[in-house]
Amino acid sequence: MTAPLLKVENLRIELTTRDGVAPVIDDLSFELGAGESISFVGESGCGKSMTALGIMGLLPDKIGRIASGSIAFEGEELSTASEKRLREIRGNDISMIFQEPMTSLNPVYTVGEQIAEVLRAHQGLSKSAAWASAVELLDAVRIPNAQRRVSDYPFQMSGGQRQRVMIAIALACEPKILIADEPTTALDVTVQAQIFDLLNDLKRQTGTAIIMITHDMGAVAEMAQRMIVMYAGRNAEQGPVDQIIDRPRHPYTKGLISCVPHIMATLTDERHELTEVAGIVPSLREFGKNQCLFASRCAMVTQECLDNRPPEIEFEAGQKSACWHAGTV
Amino acid sequence: MSDTAQKDVLLNVENLTVRFAVKKGGLFGQPKYLYAVDDISFEIKRGETLAIVGESGSGKTTAALAVARLVNAYKGRVDLDGTDFLTLEDEDLRQARAKMQFIFQDPYSSLNPRVRAEKIVREPLDNLDAVPEAERQGIVDKLFEAVGLHPEQQRLFPHQFSGGQRQRIGIARALSTQPELIICDEPVSALDVAVQAQILNLLRKLQADFGLTYLFISHDLGVVQHMCDSIAVMYMGKVVEYADRLSLFNNPLHPYTVALLSAVPSVDKKRRADTKRILIPGDPPDPLALPEGCRFANRCPVAQDRCKTQQPSLKTVATGHKVACHLVDETAVSPLR
Repeated sequence: MTAPLLKVENLRIELTTRDGVAPVIDDLSFELGAGESISFVGESGCGKSMTALGIMGLLPDKIGRIASGSIAFEGEELSTASEKRLREIRGNDISMIFQEPMTSLNPVYTVGEQIAEVLRAHQGLSKSAAWASAVELLDAVRIPNAQRRVSDYPFQMSGGQRQRVMIAIALACEPKILIADEPTTALDVTVQAQIFDLLNDLKRQTGTAIIMITHDMGAVAEMAQRMIVMYAGRNAEQGPVDQIIDRPRHPYTKGLISCVPHIMATLTDERHELTEVAGIVPSLREFGKNQCLFASRCAMVTQECLDNRPPEIEFEAGQKSACWHAGTV
Repeated sequence: MSDTAQKDVLLNVENLTVRFAVKKGGLFGQPKYLYAVDDISFEIKRGETLAIVGESGSGKTTAALAVARLVNAYKGRVDLDGTDFLTLEDEDLRQARAKMQFIFQDPYSSLNPRVRAEKIVREPLDNLDAVPEAERQGIVDKLFEAVGLHPEQQRLFPHQFSGGQRQRIGIARALSTQPELIICDEPVSALDVAVQAQILNLLRKLQADFGLTYLFISHDLGVVQHMCDSIAVMYMGKVVEYADRLSLFNNPLHPYTVALLSAVPSVDKKRRADTKRILIPGDPPDPLALPEGCRFANRCPVAQDRCKTQQPSLKTVATGHKVACHLVDETAVSPLR
């Protein structure tokens, strides 16, 4: 196996809060190969977006910092890289699309100018060449009549079209990694399906690796090959998507899958009570304790879970679960 | 089905239309109207749940608001337990509102931040004055227990609760007047997935315990499938398909419904293998310049000439299954099959 495109090892990101320093990411390790797609899953407040911001070097200034561990992109260490170098990498090699396509576009520039800006900044294209590429990119993300729409302002586009513009901006420099942070949460299902199709097609054409952050297991099943389930800043479980959905080895993963009413192939008259995961994600104050942080919501909890942080237990095909009872879930 | 046929109809909505005036043209220009809900009819039997599903802009929330008279209907009837709710005035209306309560989408903005939880739940009782004051605290206590909140939490303010707990307060408030119908407008879409399950289970439990009837507005077909007995699918202000739960999900007929269902990502490997995703390109038409034919025609993969010129009416094609499409006849086979 060749060296992975992105290798994150024992990453720890700390946030300074009023109550002291809290590890929002606690000992996270994963790898991403070229052209691969992985998904981060979990509830809000579990550190999914923080991981993405950490990789991009976009942690909130003075509040968040990478405390230890490494993020290696093609062998190059990012956690200690200079701001100047990070700026070269961002947009060029790693780019990101955000959840809210309305607030992440600048309302006073046309979408064409915003796409061209990336190309001029990173690839030094001339104004006219960048504009021509912007039209091509809009066409590539399947916005009809790209020639004319390129001069539109964001408010003239629908939510789905704005997200397409975001994708065009992110893909302008043909990055090796595209991080999509809940790219379709604000969109309707039919539009979501179109965006997923688009991302999958672009991935096939350009070989971009995709990291998708989501809370929707269905979306993971459609989009990703591997998934990482995050809970309270820690990696609860990771491995191949189909395998985890068939046989989750962590009670949290199991809860996430069965708490959502899924549409199945044939619907019958019976309706099961949905499995509840009682309670909510612990507050930042609880993060970092030497115990299983899921213990307070877990049905399988034993004394062991409260006394020590569970180690990662490995199963076949790289499936790993951080649970004392992983074997019996 | 024979069992449900005997149940009486609690809510009967006929030809409900809601329009909004949109300023267009100069100083003396005629106002233009946007028909957010255009001539829809549905009914809900006592103790059952009807879902209205659709994407943003389909008019589902406006329809719910119009039923509760939170926006004014332009035309139509809303018969609640035999009386037309839309024609009631003053005191009659105030009393009738007790029978119909609303649970809102956003548990953050729908609770007054300066009022303690107990007061929020108690307020409808105080306003309606139907229960003697001495009994009100007892009702609040029972409601807190019913929705799974602790008695000591009554003294807290909304910001001290999590999103799921706030939604529980909203539910307790809706229950306080002992309503017959509760309109749930996207009650779980602002909540985290694990918390959604808690609220959905609670809603179903309360329905069984108190014999409640729900009008359930949602865009999430998975949730709808779990919660509802019948479903109305809306597109651009019109009901395009209306059927009981099993017929709609196992045999969707309208091309829009089929596309909508096929777009839902699934964890079920078999379903992913079976369903061919039907992409509907483009955008819905401009609501101020609606086409004269079927409103879905410009995006429909099987549209024919007559679809572009003639508006299809909602017609019954099988028992309990109505659809507004020229291409579906009594054989009840989807044109996309």
